Amino acid sequence: MAASLSGLLKPWTPRVFLVRWSRYNPYYLEPEVRKEAYSQPESELSAEEKEQRELKMIRPIKAAASGVTSSVFSDPVLSKFINMMMEHGNKVLAREIMTQTLENIKKKQVEKYHKAPEGQKEEIECNPYTIFHQALKNCQPVVGLESIRKGGKIYQVPIPLSDKRRSFLAMKWLITECRDNKHRRTHMYEKLSQEVMSAFVHEGNVIRKKNELHKMAESNRAYAHYRWW
Amino acid sequence: YFTMLNLTSASASFQACQSEKHLGQFYTLPSAHFRPLFPHGLPYRYQQQVKTFNEACFMVRPPALEVISYLKKADYSKPALRYLFYGVKGSGKTMSLCHAVHFCYTQGWVVLHIPDAHLWVKNCKELLPSSYNSARFDQPLQATTWLRNFRTTNEHLLSQIKTKRRYVWTKRESTDEGRPLGELVNQGISRVKSSSDVVGALMKDLRLQSSQPGADFRLVVAVDGVNALWGRSTIKKENKSAVDLEELTLIHNLKKLMKNDWTGGAIITTLSQTGSLYTPKSAYLPQELLGETGFDSMDPFIPVSVPNYSEKEFESAYLYYLDRKWLQHPQSRTEDGKKELSFLSSKNPSMLDRICGFL
Repeated sequence: MAASLSGLLKPWTPRVFLVRWSRYNPYYLEPEVRKEAYSQPESELSAEEKEQRELKMIRPIKAAASGVTSSVFSDPVLSKFINMMMEHGNKVLAREIMTQTLENIKKKQVEKYHKAPEGQKEEIECNPYTIFHQALKNCQPVVGLESIRKGGKIYQVPIPLSDKRRSFLAMKWLITECRDNKHRRTHMYEKLSQEVMSAFVHEGNVIRKKNELHKMAESNRAYAHYRWW
Repeated sequence: YFTMLNLTSASASFQACQSEKHLGQFYTLPSAHFRPLFPHGLPYRYQQQVKTFNEACFMVRPPALEVISYLKKADYSKPALRYLFYGVKGSGKTMSLCHAVHFCYTQGWVVLHIPDAHLWVKNCKELLPSSYNSARFDQPLQATTWLRNFRTTNEHLLSQIKTKRRYVWTKRESTDEGRPLGELVNQGISRVKSSSDVVGALMKDLRLQSSQPGADFRLVVAVDGVNALWGRSTIKKENKSAVDLEELTLIHNLKKLMKNDWTGGAIITTLSQTGSLYTPKSAYLPQELLGETGFDSMDPFIPVSVPNYSEKEFESAYLYYLDRKWLQHPQSRTEDGKKELSFLSSKNPSMLDRICGFL
């Protein structure tokens, strides 16, 4: 790969192109996957947009990752969750489990909806996507704990977490909890749907873990100024 | 053009529903009909859908309508006509069969519905040598479950039809002439060892009785996956050699029923590649799935092709899912979402059902 001195940034393609790796020459541009970007006429952001389009006509573009689609039903949070659930690169299985989970949640909710009397029908949330997103939000911790060494001793110091770290922790806790703490003979989609439904109403083991973390952080409040960043 | 035709139990309004004007529209089965008629025979995903929506809805489609119109116009003093539904995987063959069976049930016919003939030629847990003919093998478990379901379906008619012959099961048990058929069926369910022979006797009796000119009932034989009768089986004897299909009592008796040497009824069948053994996945035509022997025995039959959804039917199914709150994704309600659904499923009914499941 060429070094990053600007003089050497030419469109050089090696003979064997490792498309699946993410180490492209910085000369290459990101692909635009969304359909709406291509249906816009000559208006909106004329100078900047037109410049970008000119650039895209000249420079080479990276290959799109196989997890990204231009479908209207694609969801970045869901794709991230599926990738985290995937083992040994078996994306087919991970996606299958995810779709079965969503279907299971929707089935239970729609059944409740059709059996409920007229007055309570509006309160039942049937959309599995809103339930999933809300459950993840409910599982996200606000502060995290970091081990900081001061004067020979190690203290657990509460620190603020970035958004990415918080959503990662929520998803990680959900998956590990479903893998470890449930009955052996239930399917993963069944375990996941139960956990997501209970997280939606602030119950369940993942919410409990988050609350315990919050309590630990609250009890260690005194060490907060050991943090220097 | 999506309306729910609410069926009352009066058969007059049901007759009115089965015309070409209602192509693509859904009609609801009354729950009083659903429980007895379909203890078996419906696809698994459809049964779950019925449980979720708390109602059973069939779409009125051209293949089922065609068969129903032939059933209305047929001459029942001539030998029984054989109808065969064929199509690609997931195009709605079993559902069309169930639609036709429901029509026959509302007309008061005796329904002999075998949910899947493939289940009788594979994964057999118990294989007994037959008491009646020592060369053949019995399958008591499958026979008893089928007899139980048969009893649930035809409860009201079993007490009216009488047996015409005397059957001896063991040294001490026998069923005399003139007893109601319900007794025969109960005999088969309680005495598991002779259940396959009971099934054979039942089929023979019904066949003989419906052929007589004075019979007050008509018989419909509905078999799903009829290509299992002329294929191969995976059941092994104790010396690990494969069992020939002729050596199974259930299959032998069913093949005798499929011959059109009896009158006063109809035979409606479906081909199925999904459960079949030793057939390629891409085969769906009658010639490929039935094989030479099968085709010759079924010949002459009326083939009815079951295609994927047309534009109008796809619209109707999409609106039905929207109405039942099954399509929850906000993007699925847009035009773009609908086009994407149509493309992804290529208008195949079962693929559309699977995709709409998680959307």
